[in-house]
Amino acid sequence: MKKTIPKRNSHQGLWLVVQLFVFMLLVQPLLALPTVPENFRMAAIKGSVVDETGEPLPGATITIEGTSQGTVSDIDGNFTIEVPENGALVVSFIGYQTQVVSIGNESVLNIQMIQEESSLNEVLVVGYGTQEKRDVTGAVSSIKGDNLQNLPVSGAAQALQGRAAGVNVVRNGGAPGNQGSIRIRGTGTLNNADPLIIIDGVPGGSLNDVNPNNIESVEILKDASASAIYGTRAANGVVIVTTKRGDFNQPLKVELNGYLGVSNAIKTIDVLDAPTLATLKRERYTNDGLAINSIWEDPSYQTQMTNWQEELLGQGTTQNVDLTLSGGNNNSSFMIAGGYFKEEGMITNSDFRRLSFRINSDHKLSDKFKIGQNLQLVSINQRSPNTLSAQTGVLWSAIRFHPGLPVMYPDGSYSSSQVSGEFGDINNPIFTQDTQDNNSTTHKILGNLNAEYEVLEGLKFRVNFGLDGYISDGYNFNIIVNDQIRTSSMNSLSRSYNEYYSVLAEYFLSYDKVFNELHKVNFVGGYTTQTFNSDYFSASKRDFLDESFDQRFLSVGQTLNGIDGGKSYDALASYFGRATYNYDERYLVTATFRSDGSSKFAPGNRWGYFPAFSLGWRISEEDFFQNVGFISNMKLTGGWGSLGNQNVNGLQYLALISSGRRYSFGGNQTVGAAQTRVPNLGITWETAQMTNIGLDLGFLDNRLLANFNYFIKDTKDMLIAPPTIGSIGTAQIPNQNLGELRNKGLEVEVLFRESQGKLTYTVSGNASFIQNEVTKLVDGNFIGSRLYGRSSQELSRTYQGAPIASFYGWRADGLYQTAEEIQNDSNIANDPRKTSGLIQPGDVKFLDLNDDGLIDEEDREIIGNPHPKVVYGLNTQLGYGNFDFSLFFLGNAGFDIYNADRMQGIDPTYPFNMYAETINRWNGEGTSNEIPRMTTKRDNLNHRTSDLFLEKGDFLRLKNVVLGYTLPAALTSRLGVSKARFYVTGQNVFVLTGYSGMDPELGYTDGNLQLNVDYAQYPQSRSWTIGTTITF
Amino acid sequence: MKNSIQLLLLLVIITAACDDNILETTPYGQSTSSQFWRNGEDAVAAANAMYEPLTVEDFYGHAEHTFDIPSDDQFRAGDHAEDQAIESFTFDAGNPQLFYSWRHKYEVISRANAVLINVPDITMDQTLKDRTLGEAYFLRGFMYWRFAVIYGAVPLILEEDVLASNYNKARASLEETYAQIESDLLKAAELLPVSHGADDLGRPHKGAANGLLAKMYLYKEEFDKTITYGQMVLDGPYPLADNFQDNFQVETQNNPEVLFSIQSLQGWRDNTHIIYTTPRSWGGWDFHEPVQDLIEEFEEGDPRLDYTVYKPGDMVDLGGDNGITEYTADLSSTGYHFRKYSSWNPTGGLNMSHNNPIIRTADVLLLVAEAKVRSGQNGDAEINEVRQRAGRSLLSNATMEEIIHERRVELAGENQRHQDLIRWDKANLVDIVALYKKDLGPLKPPRNFVRPKHYLFAIPQREIDLSNGVLTQNPEY
Repeated sequence: MKKTIPKRNSHQGLWLVVQLFVFMLLVQPLLALPTVPENFRMAAIKGSVVDETGEPLPGATITIEGTSQGTVSDIDGNFTIEVPENGALVVSFIGYQTQVVSIGNESVLNIQMIQEESSLNEVLVVGYGTQEKRDVTGAVSSIKGDNLQNLPVSGAAQALQGRAAGVNVVRNGGAPGNQGSIRIRGTGTLNNADPLIIIDGVPGGSLNDVNPNNIESVEILKDASASAIYGTRAANGVVIVTTKRGDFNQPLKVELNGYLGVSNAIKTIDVLDAPTLATLKRERYTNDGLAINSIWEDPSYQTQMTNWQEELLGQGTTQNVDLTLSGGNNNSSFMIAGGYFKEEGMITNSDFRRLSFRINSDHKLSDKFKIGQNLQLVSINQRSPNTLSAQTGVLWSAIRFHPGLPVMYPDGSYSSSQVSGEFGDINNPIFTQDTQDNNSTTHKILGNLNAEYEVLEGLKFRVNFGLDGYISDGYNFNIIVNDQIRTSSMNSLSRSYNEYYSVLAEYFLSYDKVFNELHKVNFVGGYTTQTFNSDYFSASKRDFLDESFDQRFLSVGQTLNGIDGGKSYDALASYFGRATYNYDERYLVTATFRSDGSSKFAPGNRWGYFPAFSLGWRISEEDFFQNVGFISNMKLTGGWGSLGNQNVNGLQYLALISSGRRYSFGGNQTVGAAQTRVPNLGITWETAQMTNIGLDLGFLDNRLLANFNYFIKDTKDMLIAPPTIGSIGTAQIPNQNLGELRNKGLEVEVLFRESQGKLTYTVSGNASFIQNEVTKLVDGNFIGSRLYGRSSQELSRTYQGAPIASFYGWRADGLYQTAEEIQNDSNIANDPRKTSGLIQPGDVKFLDLNDDGLIDEEDREIIGNPHPKVVYGLNTQLGYGNFDFSLFFLGNAGFDIYNADRMQGIDPTYPFNMYAETINRWNGEGTSNEIPRMTTKRDNLNHRTSDLFLEKGDFLRLKNVVLGYTLPAALTSRLGVSKARFYVTGQNVFVLTGYSGMDPELGYTDGNLQLNVDYAQYPQSRSWTIGTTITF
Repeated sequence: MKNSIQLLLLLVIITAACDDNILETTPYGQSTSSQFWRNGEDAVAAANAMYEPLTVEDFYGHAEHTFDIPSDDQFRAGDHAEDQAIESFTFDAGNPQLFYSWRHKYEVISRANAVLINVPDITMDQTLKDRTLGEAYFLRGFMYWRFAVIYGAVPLILEEDVLASNYNKARASLEETYAQIESDLLKAAELLPVSHGADDLGRPHKGAANGLLAKMYLYKEEFDKTITYGQMVLDGPYPLADNFQDNFQVETQNNPEVLFSIQSLQGWRDNTHIIYTTPRSWGGWDFHEPVQDLIEEFEEGDPRLDYTVYKPGDMVDLGGDNGITEYTADLSSTGYHFRKYSSWNPTGGLNMSHNNPIIRTADVLLLVAEAKVRSGQNGDAEINEVRQRAGRSLLSNATMEEIIHERRVELAGENQRHQDLIRWDKANLVDIVALYKKDLGPLKPPRNFVRPKHYLFAIPQREIDLSNGVLTQNPEY
């Protein structure tokens, strides 16, 4: 029986939401144009602006509410302005809360400004609502948008690096647009461990889509109590991005940002020059008693010609321009922003471009009825070179390509190692980069419409409809390559088209009430659904008779390579509720419950239940504490909760038969069908149970703040696809709820803020000490990971009782110096290679860990840990008059890097160029104890995975330095500008590290299963940027 | 009033959005196994899928050929570090080479089992059903045959094990393993047609099954059965091709002499072994270089040498811009490359439609000749048919020595030599230890073959570990 597919005209849903957005867009200007209140009589007002200590504040902006007319306070904080009677003034100053002062009968106003972020009153976005920081009982880190502005990085994820304790942004190389991986409180699972990203109330977006300059704040919900409200997908933490909005009754404000920068390579690897390379190549033949291949005697290849890394790594550029308009009248407020960001990488043909547009607005239809809207439209175009392959990666190739070949021959053709197989099967990396032709374009939409209705006092009903969607188009053209050693006899073009959209609907009630001024109660509860739809097709053709750029279209290809397509649907449905109770500002309780259904699991296993609760005690509010003068705030919190994760492939409970199994008979294409996955009927939620204890401290009237959090996070029923006995075949093994994992750690955040006269400064630091351990895996077995290079070397394994992705290999103990040493070495007493004379002086002495007198697979163990013991950030901001200066350091300490590139880089058995240090190889007793002899043989596998290539990865990097100057207000106001700031930014200015490779920030190379392995990834660059921000 | 309208509006939105079935999903574009197996098309699709794993790089696309690098025909070359230990008998059970093709063989078996379980119940054309079941038996038997010669006895995963999800099985005995191969191949020989039409060339037929049976019986030294089943091939429509090289050229590679080969089609599903055996500068990866000792085995003037190897001075038309190019000694560390696995596109580059032959009539002739000689009969007719095609002098009262010579030159590079030497050593026809002790130059120095340890390769350590001790290792590893 042919199955019938239920009709689901899903496009209708998409269109409905799109139309709603377009409608909002059109009515926007009508609703939000700020109107100037009709003027009555004008009155001259004098006033002064002072800070909390009574010091005058020069340069504060004073505008008439509802207009763009205004002035600035002078050096003594004084101002004069004409104001309509019964009007109001809006007084603002950076770092201080904006105040609206209504004009009564007074003609002299003294305005005292209150510093922003006096922290305790800070409002945090906590999911389905906000909370004052002092009331929060969970672990939440908050980063204000100011800290993320105008950094020359492609996305908010990079900007978050090092900004909050417990939040580790792991850079996966420096390719333009590569946003890295965010790990909140360690790697919580072997599966996708990315946190849930919520942009303006819509879960599921990408941080790279948001222009960092549009961000108002980023909140990171770290513990179970804080994130349980998003229980379904909160197991790896939640990142809530809130973008800027206009204010009601705010005069039109226009902000223009622009910056421009250049970037360059920080370091290259020293490799052998052409004459030395020939010498060492000859030595390997001589050592083996083999005839020297004649190419190494040929003087024409012994002249140094090219430093390939310098040829490949040129100068990159970064540029950004964005414009933001905001304002509002009594009933409506808006923010409209447009921006263009472009980063061209150091490597030719690698770039990232983003065109972004945003419109946010809020409207009051009545006292009780509010609606709001957010819309983000983004277009991203990206070109990325392959820098992760130890076969064809361009940087990998540049390190190894023959240095005696020119970039191009005099006839204008690219040089080629077709000259000799001895030069290795590497294509000229400049040829590869110049002729590479691939890119991906993605058009994204993310937005929501929300409405709030106050049913009774304190009781609000809210709905939120969101849409997150994209259309992406991949393009890849491969040319015919005949003149390089890795030839390609066919050209081909492939295009892939992917449409994805996710529709969110949320309905919830919130209730706020204070009883007897002692009992503050808040309740939020509701129902939400989110559906995820994706639909793709791809097509590929080959045999293009003409490879010109204007012929690289599918219609031109002569032969169809293949067409593919498919569709998937997933959904979540959830009930959630959160209650908080606050007694007398002293005792705080939060309880959260969420029940989630996921379509990824079979009926019967779909629903998971995720409770959480936490308690807080504000000790500093107790009577007995009032005499402890130097401690201005003290809060102790504790909580426990359970969170879910379903970030695995759907439909794993079905035994699916897939078509498209190719073979041919007599030259005719045939297609077959086979079961490609073993089903797991019982697959269900992975959960994380977290316990958190936190302490908030404030000293010196909260000028010094400190926060400590200790947590234990246990992941249970972790979904893993266990290694499975080969007799089952190659069918994909489904995820099973088998593993357990523990992350525990301490997070510290400290902030000190002081101002003296014109000098203001803030020093803040954060550090996370996190330990990761797999506490249960399958029957003592391990999970393997990506293999390195031609010989498929294992580098990382995940074992029970050890951290995820531990380095695994042999232990080396220097080099054999003499034949006697080999004869007497107990490590190889019974080794057949010794008896056959295959081990020689200059070979590596490996340790026989299992004492059987021979070196084999059984002599491996865990040799290193790629996870930093501590990740820390240090931030200093200084302001003096109109100057501002900031320094931001990032550090990682207590971890190992496996330098696989060096392992292969000093291995003489490959037909490649080698690291320059190879000149110090063993070539006689006592000449080296580290770099093995030159040989073409691999009997001893000197360059097998061992601690010989393990290095300490610790680094401290000056990630960012900014020097800015704001033009004096007196000058700018004459130009009709309310603020103008110019700045210079340096990114990755220097790094202190003992690591010998290009860059100690290497990141993940195989999901979570491999970390900090050097593949000659695209390195990060050092960049210098100049920019300006002008506000009208 | 206004508020009521607003409330009503919200209620309408909520009702519209509520959907009880929101969590129901559909496997778009795929079927579940309970929906499949409906008709003849499904049966053929499932049968076609059995062949797919054969071509992967970790199987016949390269890895399977590595089991012949210990032979005295070739130097491993290439840049796979693990190969050296295989060639020099210093490998241990953890050597990744031992594992590469293991799973793919079981994948073919798994797909064959699926056919054998489900196809009998399908209502479909009986001839097609027989063919499909015959293909499944053939491929399963062929896989267990490869397992048996490489590792000896292995776990036998059969229909009932699939139905019971019983994959962690102990190794069968060697006798049971051979009995399974025999039973599968006999069923295949019964069910498969004598030959196929042009659209199905490359599927096994009776000749393929009988040929493989003949080979298996010779390994078991059941000479009369080798002769019986070999003779069925020789009596069938599977004559030798006119020219030896017809078997190794894209245009003629599906000629009747080729009883079974792994099919390859450029741009669709191709066989990467072709790239592995080709010089680097010619776009290959430079593995499996023939050594001088093999070259010298060829009789003076034997035309098969020219079609077996590239040697210095050969002019080769590489097509495209390169055109006719001279093969020079510096392309290889031994001075030679195998030629059996390469053809060139007229526009340049390797022709990836070059098949991978598994068994040919010439092989069967030599098997029958050997069975006859070893059982005291005369094998001249069979060996001379092979020699005659190559323009060699005819032998009378051919000896085992001559058969050994003939097999070496006729089948060089076809993944036979190491296994032939092992079985001859067991029968005291050759001394493999002495043979492998021979110094064939710095690239192929003397090696220590240990009897009986190296008659078999080691069971992959990974499999032993994952079986929790259910799988046992071969002796002395």
